[in-house]
This record gives sequence, C-alpha cells and structure tokens, in this order.
Amino acid sequence: MSYEMWAEKYRPKQLSNMVDQKIIVERLKSFAKSKNVPHCIFAGPPGTGKTTAALCLTRALYGEGYREHLMELNASDERGINVVRETVKTFARSRSIGEIPFKILILDEADNMTSDAQQALRRTMERYTETCRFIMCANYSGKIIEPIQSRCAPFRFSFLPREEHDTYIKHIAESENVHLMPDGLEAIFEVCGGDLRRAINTLQAAASMNKPVDSVLIYSVTGKASPSDVQRMLNTAINGYFLGARKQLRDMIQKYGVAGVDIIRQIHKEIFKAEIPEPWKMKLAAITGEIDYRLVAGSDEEVQLSALLARFVEAGSEIKKGN
Amino acid sequence: MQFLYMTWTVKHKPKSTAEIVGNPSAIKALRDWLQSWDKGVPKKRAVFLCGAPGVGKTVTVEALAHELHMELVEKNASDYRTEDAINRFAGLASQYGSLFGGKRIVLLDELDGLMGNADKGGVKAITNIVKKARCPIVLIAGNAYDPRFTALRSYCLLIEFKKPPASSVMKNLQRIREREGIEADENTLKFIAQRAGGDVRSAVNDFQALAQGKNRLAYDDVSWLAYRDRQESIFNVLKMILYGRTSYGAKQAVDMADVDIDMLFEWIYENVPAHFPDPHDLVQAMDALAMADVYRGKIRASKDWSFTRYVIDYMTVGVAMARQESKVSGWIPFKFPSRIKMLSRSKAERAMRKRIGLKIRRKCHISVARTSKEVLPYLRIIFKNNANMAGGIAKWLDLDAEMVEYLVGSKVRAGAITAFLG
Repeated sequence: MSYEMWAEKYRPKQLSNMVDQKIIVERLKSFAKSKNVPHCIFAGPPGTGKTTAALCLTRALYGEGYREHLMELNASDERGINVVRETVKTFARSRSIGEIPFKILILDEADNMTSDAQQALRRTMERYTETCRFIMCANYSGKIIEPIQSRCAPFRFSFLPREEHDTYIKHIAESENVHLMPDGLEAIFEVCGGDLRRAINTLQAAASMNKPVDSVLIYSVTGKASPSDVQRMLNTAINGYFLGARKQLRDMIQKYGVAGVDIIRQIHKEIFKAEIPEPWKMKLAAITGEIDYRLVAGSDEEVQLSALLARFVEAGSEIKKGN
Repeated sequence: MQFLYMTWTVKHKPKSTAEIVGNPSAIKALRDWLQSWDKGVPKKRAVFLCGAPGVGKTVTVEALAHELHMELVEKNASDYRTEDAINRFAGLASQYGSLFGGKRIVLLDELDGLMGNADKGGVKAITNIVKKARCPIVLIAGNAYDPRFTALRSYCLLIEFKKPPASSVMKNLQRIREREGIEADENTLKFIAQRAGGDVRSAVNDFQALAQGKNRLAYDDVSWLAYRDRQESIFNVLKMILYGRTSYGAKQAVDMADVDIDMLFEWIYENVPAHFPDPHDLVQAMDALAMADVYRGKIRASKDWSFTRYVIDYMTVGVAMARQESKVSGWIPFKFPSRIKMLSRSKAERAMRKRIGLKIRRKCHISVARTSKEVLPYLRIIFKNNANMAGGIAKWLDLDAEMVEYLVGSKVRAGAITAFLG
C-alpha cells in the first residue's frame, strides 16, 4: 500500500486514461491536437472528472511543463470580486511564451462565485481572449450567469456508470494490494453513487484498517465519515426534542465545519424518505426551499436551519395528534 | 520593567488629544476657547466641563495644555477645601503669563468634592476668582447642574462630555493591547468595552485586572464576569420580551438592555426554546428570529442600518406575539448564549481546519471549503487506524505535528505518526 492520497495518485494524467465521459474526451483531444481551446464550462456533479479533464487538457497542450501556462483558482475560497479584478486580470493579460499564445485558467467551483465577480469576469474573458482561455468547473451551470454561459462551450459531465466505476476501483485495489470483496465494491457504489473521489477516499480509509474490505467495513467507514447525520437530527426534532436537535445542528456547523447548504440539501433528501404523512412532505419541502433561499442571501446558518427544525418539531406533534 | 506596577490608566494615558476616546466636538470647543485667550480676555473667563466619570475630562485638559504649550496648575478636591484655601491661590489666576514666560491654565478638578459646611463659601470664592480671572480657568464636575453651581455656571462656558460608544472604547483597548503585546480577540475586548458602559477608565482598569501577568486573554476568561453584575438587568429584559403582552412593552426592552442588538439576539435565540413549549408557538417564535436574522443579513450586505428597526420588531414583538398556547409552569432559568462561547472555542478549531485545508488544496485540486467535508473525515479515519499510511500522507501533504495531532485526536498516538515526518 502506498502512503499518499490515492485520489491524487490515481488521478489520470492523460486524456486517454480518463474513465468514461468518452464524448467529452474526444472533443478535448481534438482541441489539444489543433492547439486551440475555446472558453469552456465543465458542469456536472462532484467526482466525475471535471478538474481532471481540465488538467489533462492543459498537459496535452503544453506537455510536462504545463504548470507554467496554467493557473488554478478555487472560487469557493477566492470568490470575491477583488480576485477577478486583481489575480485573474493580472494572469489573463500577460502573454504566454511558447508555441501556444494563450494560457489556461481553471476556475474551479465557479458556481460559488458571487454574481458581482461573475459580471467582472465577463469583460475580462472577452478582453483577454487572445492571451487566456478560461475553463470554468461547476456543479450547476445554472448558477453561472447567462452572459458567461454564452461565451463558453458547455460540457456536461455525468456520474460514472456502474461498470466503469467498478473497473477503476478494482484497478486501484489491485495496485495497492487491498483485499476488496465483491460486496465491498457494491457498497462503495451504493454509498458514493458514482462520485469517484469519494469512492477512492472511502476505499483508502477502509483499507487503512488492514482488514478485507467488505460491505460492513464500508458502511462503518462512511458512517464515521459523515458527521452530518442529518437523519438522526431530524428524528430528534420529529420526536419533539428541539434543543437536542439544535445542539446536533450546532455541532455539525461549528465542530465539523459542514456547510449549511450541504445540510439543507440532505434535509431536503430526507424529507421524502421520512415516515411522515404525504401532505407534510410538501409542506416541509416548501419551507426548506424558503430557508435555502435565505441562506444563499447570506443569513446565519444556524438560526435559519433551527427555524426549520422547529417546523419538524411541529410536524411531529401534529402527526402524533393524528392530523 | 519600570512599568510593572504602574496602572495602565496612567501608563497608557493619552499623550495627545488625538488619542482621546470620543467627544471630538467637546475637545474642539475647549481648544477654541483656550486659543481665544491669545486675542485677549474672552467673554467667559472659565469653562465648566461636566460628564460622567471616566469619559476623559481631566485627560483632555492635560493633553490640550501639552499641545498648546501651556503650563497647567492643577488643584483638586484634596488640595482645597475652604474659602481661605481657595483665595490663597487666587493670585495664580491673576495673570495670563506665568513666571517662566509660558501661558497658564488653572484647573480646579473634582468640584463635586466641595460639600457642605466644611467647604463653606468654597463655591462663592471660586465664583469671585472666575469673575476677575486674567487666565483661563477650567472647572470640572460630574454634574454641572447641581443647584450649588447655579451662580458660578452663569460665568462659565459649559462643555459637556458624553459617554463614548463601546466601539470607541474598544479602539482604546486595542491600542493598549498592541502596546502590551497581549493576545486577546475582538470578542473579548468588545465584552470589556460594553461592560464599561462608556467609562473608558474603568474599561482600562478591567482589562488590566483581567490580563496582567498573562499574555493571552480568552473570551472565556471574561464572559463570566461580564454578566456578573448585569444579569439582573438582562433577565428582566428577556422576561419583557419572551413574556411580553404588548408590542410596546416588548420593544421597550431593547432600550433597557445594556448589550448591543446582536448580543440581545443571542440571548433571545438561546432562551426561546425552553420558554415556548408549544410546538406551534415555537415555530412562530423561531420564524420571527429567522426573519430578524434575514434583515441582519441585509444590513451586513448593504451596510444600510435603517433595516435595524425590522430586526428589532421581529426579535421582540415577533417573539412576544408567538405565545398563544405556551404556558410555563415553575421557574425556568435563563441561560447564557452558549453559541457564543462555542464560537470562540471552535475558532481555534476552524483555524486548524483551514490550515490543513490549505495544505490539501495544494496537492488535491479542491477548495479549502470542501476539504472539511470531502477529505478531512477520511483522513481522520486513516490517522486513527494506520500510523504508516498516516505518516506517509502527513509527509506527502507536508503537515506539521500539530495538524497530525488534530487529525488523530490524541497526543500520544500522534507521536507514532510524527516520527515519519523526520
């Protein structure tokens, strides 16, 4: 077993090594061959190869010295308008030395940029097209403003299908001498749903226990790995213990640093799985939507989410009464 | 070392008016009046400075005397008592230029100290000196409107010193923090500043009492004290809001509270659940707080403070009116906002997560924000179970011993991993 992060170690270096996303890969290869790249949007769920594709494309263009022609920015960390005005602009306007006259700027998690910053980006993209091409990676292309979308070639990444997922995970397990049981592999897919980064991290964490990796081990790992036990919190609320539920919420946010938007996404999922009367599901979903909207508008995560928890307390008591 | 036993109020006394907290217009009025003496004796030969303790009256006079190169002759309540004693230094006030050629200010401080029979005639004697004064005379008292001063006041220019806002008091504490090299976060200083209620001197004294001999002052060191003497009042405020029957009463509570709106919000937010047992009422009350918070968000985004009125409406009237069915039997204690305590404690943890996140970002093409959900949980498992793999990863990511310890969650077992770091 090697002692680094496998998700990085097994990140494909060449476009031809990429698993799945065949149509996208073919087009990217043709970009590399013609040594010309338009501005791109890579949209799709996490762990489906967006960043990898962008890195592979850059490598295909410039060869091993590709780092000199590349800037990677992460919009979740640097999403303000100042980053666009300063960092991005400075990089974008200077000419690249070498055969290819432009550089590549990978803007990861671009859907987390403020709309101000996106507006500022739009001019920058236009003005410096000669010297810089943008690849924007995002979970949802809808969060990227129209004017930018219209300047970019869109690529839609999707979750890996079962066979491709299995082949890749098995390949890693073999290379690392991990004893991966068939039910363990199935459990990984079940839990991670085709998110390859998560799948590899799960495999590595399970392998660190030095036991054959079966489904039991996988479930115990993923249980530990998700501090945001949203289901437990909602049950606490539905059973009428508001303070207990609020405490769990507080721990998630403050101790484990889980983002409010992630919690609310899971709450939304749980609503339709929960054993509550059908009419209540839509009521709660509607309120969840309202709270989600407020979080995006910049309100306090705990205050807003605990108002939502109060609704679950109310739902629980109404259900008990038989309403 | 020579400063070791010095009180900070002396050690960090403002050397210039620029360093004085608050009251810019009062300071300017005093400066203008002092300078007007250069053009001859002004209409009012004395100023009367009044204002609550610790707002900077005396310090202002001292700083101005220094800035305008004037000699300050100071008498306070311990120096003079009776008419005779006061008349004895009347001569001082008889000329503008002092013996050494400089200009002179005569300061009579702590006039409130002139009391009853013992100081009989004292105020009258001062009034006489003021009438004939040939140099600026500065009088200081807490309450200039005391009836004893009525006659005297009519010969004086009255300058009022107001209590500076907590934010200004805090700036002063920050200045001292830098000079003393004490580690104390903003929340901690804010607490001390708010507690002082505009008394700059007592804020500095509190800060010294809490921090001297330490190089670090944490929020937990002060929070207990902050509410030692204020609890009574915050409890009454909470009662007015959580059990208010009229919108007027609930709103009025805000004026009675001696904490700022954000802190009051935290108190209400902490205590609503225990006091609204009925689920429907709870929903209404929590909704009201959530709406108050929406407006707080708008204020943060737009810096438009006029939205504050809606914040107040929701957090007071909104909460009070939520009570329909909830009946509380017996005494339910009000609790200190635990979220605040936890925030300051988990601040260190957040900083640690961020430091590790930055290391991971360098290697793994993922935002710091997402590492805490997508990478850290797995690293924790690996670090707890497999020292070899953890050591390799720690080296690969270039983590330091502290980061390893955080991921392992135990100092002892971290040793086995840090051995790999070499």
